[in-house]
Amino acid sequence: MPINYKTGIINEHKNVRNHSGIFDVSHMGQILIENNESYLHKLEKYIPLQLKKLTKNRSHYSFLLNKDGGVIDDLIISNIDIKDKSYLYIVYNASRKKEDEEIFISCAPNAEKIYEKNCLFAIQGPDSINVLKNIIDIPNNMNFFDILISKYDNNEIIVSRSGYTGEDGFELSIPNESAENLINLLLKNENTMLCGLGSRDSLRLEAGLSLYGHELSEKITPIEAGLSWALDKERLEDENLNGNKVLSDQLKNKLSNKKIGLISTSKSMLRDGMTLFDNNNNEIGKITSGCFSPNLNKSIAIGYIISEFNTDNPIFCEIRKKFELVKINNLPFVKKNYKKNGSIYE
Amino acid sequence: MSEKKYTKDHEWVSIENEIATIGISNHAQESLGDIVFIELPSVGNSVKAKDEICVVESVKAASDIYAPIDGEIIEVNNNLENDAAIINKDAENEGWIFKMKISDSSQYSELMSEDEYKQFLEQ
Repeated sequence: MPINYKTGIINEHKNVRNHSGIFDVSHMGQILIENNESYLHKLEKYIPLQLKKLTKNRSHYSFLLNKDGGVIDDLIISNIDIKDKSYLYIVYNASRKKEDEEIFISCAPNAEKIYEKNCLFAIQGPDSINVLKNIIDIPNNMNFFDILISKYDNNEIIVSRSGYTGEDGFELSIPNESAENLINLLLKNENTMLCGLGSRDSLRLEAGLSLYGHELSEKITPIEAGLSWALDKERLEDENLNGNKVLSDQLKNKLSNKKIGLISTSKSMLRDGMTLFDNNNNEIGKITSGCFSPNLNKSIAIGYIISEFNTDNPIFCEIRKKFELVKINNLPFVKKNYKKNGSIYE
Repeated sequence: MSEKKYTKDHEWVSIENEIATIGISNHAQESLGDIVFIELPSVGNSVKAKDEICVVESVKAASDIYAPIDGEIIEVNNNLENDAAIINKDAENEGWIFKMKISDSSQYSELMSEDEYKQFLEQ
């Protein structure tokens, strides 16, 4: 996947917000794990969900956790049937394949890495449904984070209504031999185009979504990352879950750091790794992701600051040895447009 | 206007009456992608060749602009303040960044010609 295609990051970004865009995310991990009680029990050591109770044909955002409750990876886990057999289908980060697969294989030795034979495409943006429904059957009542098996070219494909841009959209896991054909068919629609890693990053940042290696790491827990909504609270009482004590303590007590959204007041770009200061030159935090926001026409960022900092006070970002005022902005920076019960919701 | 010359840092320089006009090459704007901001140098500053004097920010990254030769900054392209994307549209004309009064024209002679720069890009 390149950083961008011919027309550039900003154009790709706007096309996704206004029409639709296609991302080839075949580099990501995709694995099928048999829905078997012993495997699920072993996986529940790492994944803070009640895996036995996952609703069929639904996806869930979750994590693999280490012993301290830190995030080994963030992932999407779904319960689906393929050829009358029940599976967990997990999509995970390319950069964490080694760590994740060690865990998956130790829990379920016959887990099947389907990214070796399946491509993964995301089509994102308000027009996605119209581009896709001429080619693949999409039920009218399919909501955000619903997932199903459909057919293309006489092959079974996995279709989920999901994505990483804040827009309505779909992800398609499709056998390699049919992949090129499908992409070309989708691209016949003049309102869609191929999009690269650059716009993928600016779209997810505007939507306030976390990126592993930036907002998430082995040293940050989901609670510190502001993602406690994704944890099953009952599982936090379960000793079988890695870091369960750390996590339940963090839920009850004050955290040392908090995640914030920032918006630049000048034209300078906020970038990953820049340091944040209060008005007495005390370091109060760091930026973990920053980019130019095509929708706001300003630079935006996500970062962590110490919890005791009163956000009514000014925050400065050090940019090339100068201190520039930045403003706190609630996440997300743009409204999310996900589909639920027949309508688009935020 | 003299022949346009190029630096290894992908800047172009042209000289007229000891005034050098400087910008980034078309190749540089293509690799940077969408340019969203430029921090222009300060007029009146005396600079040496290789000094970092301003910054071009694209959606992808910030990139330093160096003085190609010794001299004094005498003018900047204020149009870029409002629309840095002019550099993407026309890097080697309308997208000029600053002008310098140069003090040593032999430094200019040492820069690459257009053909030499093309060869340099192919290496």
